[in-house]
Amino acid sequence: MNRTKTDRHDMASSQIDQILTTEVPLVPSSGFLASVMERVREEAAAPPPIPFPWKRAVPGMVVIAGVFGWGAVELVRYGLPSLDSSALVPPHLSAAVVRSLEQAGWVGLALGVTLLSWLLSRRLADRSGLL
Amino acid sequence: MIAALRNEREGLADPDLADIDRVLAGDVQAFEGIVRRWQGPLINMAWRYCRDRDRAEELAQDAFVRAWRGLGQWRRESSFSTWLFALAANVFRSDLKRFPAVTVPLDDSPEPSGQASQHNTLQKELSHGVVRSAVLALPLRYREPVVLFYFHEMDVAAAARTMGLPEGTMKARLSRARALLRRRFPQLETQHAETEFSATHKGKEA
Repeated sequence: MNRTKTDRHDMASSQIDQILTTEVPLVPSSGFLASVMERVREEAAAPPPIPFPWKRAVPGMVVIAGVFGWGAVELVRYGLPSLDSSALVPPHLSAAVVRSLEQAGWVGLALGVTLLSWLLSRRLADRSGLL
Repeated sequence: MIAALRNEREGLADPDLADIDRVLAGDVQAFEGIVRRWQGPLINMAWRYCRDRDRAEELAQDAFVRAWRGLGQWRRESSFSTWLFALAANVFRSDLKRFPAVTVPLDDSPEPSGQASQHNTLQKELSHGVVRSAVLALPLRYREPVVLFYFHEMDVAAAARTMGLPEGTMKARLSRARALLRRRFPQLETQHAETEFSATHKGKEA
């Protein structure tokens, strides 16, 4: 009898199904329930975790963000004209090309910052077991 | 096992809900009922993730403690079992990422025994063990769908809910995982065909 490839695959799959579904279930060890409840009672008895001091941290965060923002504005204000006149830009590029390159640079910088903050938040969340 | 647990509860007031309400009201002892009912499924689920009995119990214990901490966050939109299995899967996944289970690469896993020893029950069980261990050697994105699909007694929807994936994605990953297992164990095709043939042959002789 000629069996097609699909038939053979189906048979192998059903063989795999049979092997993986028919497992003898494990019975929990006698002390399992007690040890779980002991840990739960310990958790219940432990003092609640100290909440993050948002009231104290927020003003500091605002100040830091302000300093960085101000720094960025100053950098753009003083840094860009000198960049324009520098020899970094090849003389044969038109002003329109330079402008679009500059815009692309800003977009790239923004994407980089976004990526970094995403990676950092993911790492923090992973460490705290939220993921 | 899970289906039996669900069927047992049909028509009865859900004992989990009563215990959860008591726990949330401050009765820590009420959590024991939840552990008693779900310890078997959670240990067996963890076992399928790591194939190490002691570690399976540790993982299940961690999952219960995490469930106890997060009980107030269960929104009761889905069933308690769905929430508990999804939480346990997260615990098992992140723990196994940190300390991976000891596995043999899929291509290096030993071959299941040949047809000559098929009548030997012990030998058969050993060769089945090889296939089960090979699941742990699958790439991570295919391993968990396989583990959960067979844990949920081949219920794709339940496995997808536990992983938080759409059913279509779950089916695609399962299909790929099975293809990898078939490629690793090509003799399963011939073994199945021969078992079928001998069964038919015996039937005719009788």
